[in-house]
Amino acid sequence: MNKKVISTLVIGTLIAGTLAGCGGSSDAGSSAKSSSGKTELELFSTKPENKDTIQKLVDKYNESHDDVTVKVTAPPDAGTVLKTRMAKNDMPDIVAMGGDNNYTEVEGAGMLLDLGDQDYIKDVQEAYIDMIYDVNKDKEETIYGVPFATNASGVIYNTEKFEELGLEVPKTWDEFIDTLQKIQDAGEQPLLMTYKDAWTANAPWNSIAADLAPESFADDRKAGKTTFVGTHEEITEKYLTLLDYAQDDFMGLSYDDGNKKFANGDAVMIINGNWAISQYRNANPDVKINMFAFPSSNDESQNKVTSGVDVLLGVSKSSSNVDAAKDFVSFMMEKENVQTYIDEQFSFSALKGVEQSDEAVSGVQEDISNGKVANFEDHYYPSGFNMSVLLTELSLNRANGMDDKENIEQFLKQCDEKYDVANVD
Amino acid sequence: MKKAANRKRPAVNKVYYIYVGILAVLFFIFHTIPFLKGVFYSFTDWRGYGDWNFVGLRNYLHMFVDADTGNAYIFTFKFAVITTILVNVVSLVLACALNAKIKFKNTIKAFYFLPYMLGSLIVGFIFNYIFANLVPELGKALGIKALSVNILGTNNAMWGIIAVSLWIGCAFNTLIYIAGLQSIDTDVYEAANLDGATGFKRFSKITFPLLAPSFTINMVLSAKGYLMVYDQIMAMTDGGPGTATTSIAVLIYKKGFGGGQFAYQSANAVVLFIVVVLISVFQLRILEKREEKLG
Repeated sequence: MNKKVISTLVIGTLIAGTLAGCGGSSDAGSSAKSSSGKTELELFSTKPENKDTIQKLVDKYNESHDDVTVKVTAPPDAGTVLKTRMAKNDMPDIVAMGGDNNYTEVEGAGMLLDLGDQDYIKDVQEAYIDMIYDVNKDKEETIYGVPFATNASGVIYNTEKFEELGLEVPKTWDEFIDTLQKIQDAGEQPLLMTYKDAWTANAPWNSIAADLAPESFADDRKAGKTTFVGTHEEITEKYLTLLDYAQDDFMGLSYDDGNKKFANGDAVMIINGNWAISQYRNANPDVKINMFAFPSSNDESQNKVTSGVDVLLGVSKSSSNVDAAKDFVSFMMEKENVQTYIDEQFSFSALKGVEQSDEAVSGVQEDISNGKVANFEDHYYPSGFNMSVLLTELSLNRANGMDDKENIEQFLKQCDEKYDVANVD
Repeated sequence: MKKAANRKRPAVNKVYYIYVGILAVLFFIFHTIPFLKGVFYSFTDWRGYGDWNFVGLRNYLHMFVDADTGNAYIFTFKFAVITTILVNVVSLVLACALNAKIKFKNTIKAFYFLPYMLGSLIVGFIFNYIFANLVPELGKALGIKALSVNILGTNNAMWGIIAVSLWIGCAFNTLIYIAGLQSIDTDVYEAANLDGATGFKRFSKITFPLLAPSFTINMVLSAKGYLMVYDQIMAMTDGGPGTATTSIAVLIYKKGFGGGQFAYQSANAVVLFIVVVLISVFQLRILEKREEKLG
């Protein structure tokens, strides 16, 4: 059985390698002229959810271009496959990936072209360009990846319940707690937490920490100049305060079950992102919801929408037809095509003037258009640092009745320890 | 027949060599080589892709100071000991009951064997639903506070997993015990009856000692299986809440793939392999000695 574990590990990687091999074998990794004289480009997409929409846009491009054909590759476990192919010098021509630590590895290896001179860049919101700089290796201020689509996380609320209870959207932390208290007093469930799926425990943390952590924390922590202890006490305290308003079983409710419950009006608010909305609608097509930025602070100007780059586009240096690849990225960045993408994928646009019109997110669209956004805090943590495990431990201790002060102290110490273990390049 | 065979080596049909040969080659390619590769990589700093260097015993030494690995071992041992004991006690009771002269014996046996035929992932998902929805309702109705929330989201998550492992594991162990019980000569029982041994005394003095071979098999197989517990945990808690139910196998998978620690977790897997072999050998020694004594 133990041999099985090891062999599974090894066979797993072998398979990953084989998959990557399959993907590139048709044209040896970079574009090539096919027999008909056409240029073939490979678009590697890491997000399985958007495969159909990407394919639709690619088809549109292929129909209008006789000399270029773009092919989409979207394998499972795409991040690992891409890194394997990178190691084999088998980069696809164009990548469509998240603005996360996978991107940092590809960019840091010097695989991508500078796209800063392209026409569409002036239409891209500065806030998202800054996020790309932030995830570039050594914070280099060069646009190796063009922000294409973005996401948003915050508080999602049931608008009908808000009306029923005569509530206003809270703008500050005190107002937020006041609202939660009013809902509780009215005998309704204020917040629904789904911490059985540990990643959802990151949602409130990402918002509070993005608003309240010292501005240079991410860099300083990486350099070892600061610690979680001493900077994140207030954030952790607020995080724990929220649990007072969660349902009793917040550690035992799964994401899927929680979404169904929320859609059916079991709670007034839930803290999550735009990606969950289609689930609410599936569970209850009539649910009336909206979203607001998480009000972490009493200073309204600090309360930003948590939003990151969901999809960015990059062109490989090793592509044999760089111009065609750049042309394809320009095509994707046309307003009409971005609109198609965000309408189908329920996400937001990094382009100025292209807006998500769905009412379920209308509460945050204005902030996003104005660039009042902050990136998910965990995008800045090292990839081996698993915050969600620490946060669920913190919450479990709270549920077990551990003293808050001791709990917070222990949690922050753990954060620093685990961060140091994971902080290796 | 037997004597003749002993005197002169019988001609073995070549077909057997071909069968065994093919299987040996396949086994070597798909089982032994990957295993050896895993051992090999445990001495490197390979992340699962890209370049690597030899680092000697660094991975092995790091295991002793890594709190995650330590916690995983503690959880796994606790889980394995409790589950192995419970599974064997329950199976023994079930086997004795099913071996008695009762009606619908075979139908009931089939019911008890059913869980073994379902994959443990599927059973895990089913119990996920039961623990999330049915048990809390029952707990609320009965006013038991510990049961009114999803047990998998509390400190007692381990007991939820033990319950499911018990449900799956009893089927196979019961089967082995029933087979053992049926091989006991009824004359022994008649003699015991005449001597006045009945009830629990008959069980402890006659039945249980005669079940020694079945007991050995079950103890060794259960302990080995539960030291490598993986499927149930992945289906039910994903190692949570926090790291409360992260077993060694789960840790190896999660950190080996997701955390870029391929080489380090390979070392962990090698150590787990050695630990399991040692425990199994130790168990066999003790239990076989016991068998000899009783036999």
